[in-house]
Amino acid sequence: MDKIRTIIIDDEQLARDIIKAYLKKLDKFELIGEATNGFDGIKLINDTKPNLVFLDIQMPKLTGFEMLELIEEPPVIIFTTAFDQYALKAFEVNATDYLLKPFAEERFLEAINKAEKILTSESEIKNKFKSLTKLAELKNEFLERVVYKSGQKINVIPVDDINYIEAQDDYTMLYTRKGNFLKQKTMKYFEENLDPNVFLRIHRSFIVSLTNIKQIELLEKESYQVILQDGKKLPVSKSGYQKVKELIK
Amino acid sequence: MTNPFTSNKKVFITYALMWFFLFLAQINVLVFAMNIKLYPALIDSFVFNALYMILGIGIWYTVRFNSLENYSAVKIFLNHIVAAVITAGIWLAISEFILNQVLVADQKYLGLLYNSTVWRFLFGILIYIVLVAVDYVIIYYNNFQEKVLKESELKSLVKEAELNALKYQINPHFIFNSLNSISSLTLSNPARAQEMTIKLSSFMRSTLAKNENQKSKLIDEINAGKLYLDIEKIRFEDKFEFIEDLKLECKEMEIPSMILQPLFENAIKHGVYESLEKVIIKLSCGMEKEYFKISVENNFDPEAVPRKGNGIGLKNIQNRMKLIYNQDNLIQVEKRQNNFCVNIYIPVS
Repeated sequence: MDKIRTIIIDDEQLARDIIKAYLKKLDKFELIGEATNGFDGIKLINDTKPNLVFLDIQMPKLTGFEMLELIEEPPVIIFTTAFDQYALKAFEVNATDYLLKPFAEERFLEAINKAEKILTSESEIKNKFKSLTKLAELKNEFLERVVYKSGQKINVIPVDDINYIEAQDDYTMLYTRKGNFLKQKTMKYFEENLDPNVFLRIHRSFIVSLTNIKQIELLEKESYQVILQDGKKLPVSKSGYQKVKELIK
Repeated sequence: MTNPFTSNKKVFITYALMWFFLFLAQINVLVFAMNIKLYPALIDSFVFNALYMILGIGIWYTVRFNSLENYSAVKIFLNHIVAAVITAGIWLAISEFILNQVLVADQKYLGLLYNSTVWRFLFGILIYIVLVAVDYVIIYYNNFQEKVLKESELKSLVKEAELNALKYQINPHFIFNSLNSISSLTLSNPARAQEMTIKLSSFMRSTLAKNENQKSKLIDEINAGKLYLDIEKIRFEDKFEFIEDLKLECKEMEIPSMILQPLFENAIKHGVYESLEKVIIKLSCGMEKEYFKISVENNFDPEAVPRKGNGIGLKNIQNRMKLIYNQDNLIQVEKRQNNFCVNIYIPVS
């Protein structure tokens, strides 16, 4: 069998060293690269197409979670992090694995064995990945920034820069101060992960930033629309109108 | 509240002195204005004044009983009128009875005694009013003092509670990440692992030992901060550099403990963690007018999209400084292009 091609993405040399030291003892695994931040990490994954990635969460440029959103066919991921608030959630959703720093070699081998099993039974990979991205969405905190790719360029947008979001079938179009972009996320995802005191689902197809609303207008009987700062008009559903009224009050 | 005329020596002496003067004054009036002989005048004045002095102590209880919190003003007024009449009445009856017995032979005096009954009664009422007024003033003054005392106690309690709420806490992720580095170093470089273990222990000990309400010398705070930076340096190697520029007079100066630490942590968190370039963290201190100015400065990656939750540490320091020095604007934040600087002003006491 081919060796399992592995990369490590972590901004700390010593954190990478210990994984390297453990990996060295295993014949089945081959370390093919390392990266020290989110941008380089994505590039490395796209260039080398590894089977397994050890991924830190807190890193410069992009977090481990944000990286995963931007990779089309993600490999098997083992998170390595000191943040147990994410890890606890990981166990709830049965993630591939979560290594809490510092970790023992036995614990490391356990994670490696899980990864190996998944890699040898091809069909499971996608399921596992699903549970992992779900995990990213389970964070308690609200989204602070959104990442997207335009061509080869990766963009990070603070959520404060989002004007409004429009549903487009299974995707969503984000209208921001830095332009518009399509995101492979549902309206439900944004509704649940954006701070509800700032972002409001005013309609089946629209989420609006409250700061971007200039006024609300009665269209005809019991039918309203909001006018945005730039003059654009968006429809407001009945329940949406109740929500706006409550927040603006 | 106990009766101040019996429990407080000073009040009692003042009270007795007042009666002594009235006693002397009355003798004078009787002898020089009424042409009474000295002996009956002395007896008369003594009996009247000594008796009222004793009755007067009891007035305190009528005042305590008629406190403004429990009764309406009208009711209190009526109560006092009744009490005044009774007090003056008893006073006159007993005094005249005694004097009648003692000075039975002095017809001239007894004539004056009976003639002056109405005047003496009015005088008794007047004394009653004066004593009641004094008693109310005493009660008011005592309540006021108590209130001031309680208020200052409450204030210091609130301050303590607020300072506790702003307590510095070691970031647990820092500890776990450091332990991970140590774990790694035990394999590759045991000597370094030992060094880092000792530094981490010293740092934790220094932060645990500190009382948040206390002040410590700047140089001690800097040494604790350096321990922290040394540990981060092992984690991040060449990713940052620490420079200090301290004027000699600063080193011994006292600052609130644990006020610099969050600034170093911010510099690491927002500078080093988020940047790919080398970060310079600079600490400087010097005099500026009547303040010691301490500055912590670092460059950062302006393209890094800031995370929220920034500034909680800063806000805490701001609040602590305000509570400790009772002064606003002791913390100043300057953010330019790729440079972040926090200035702390410590008033020279």
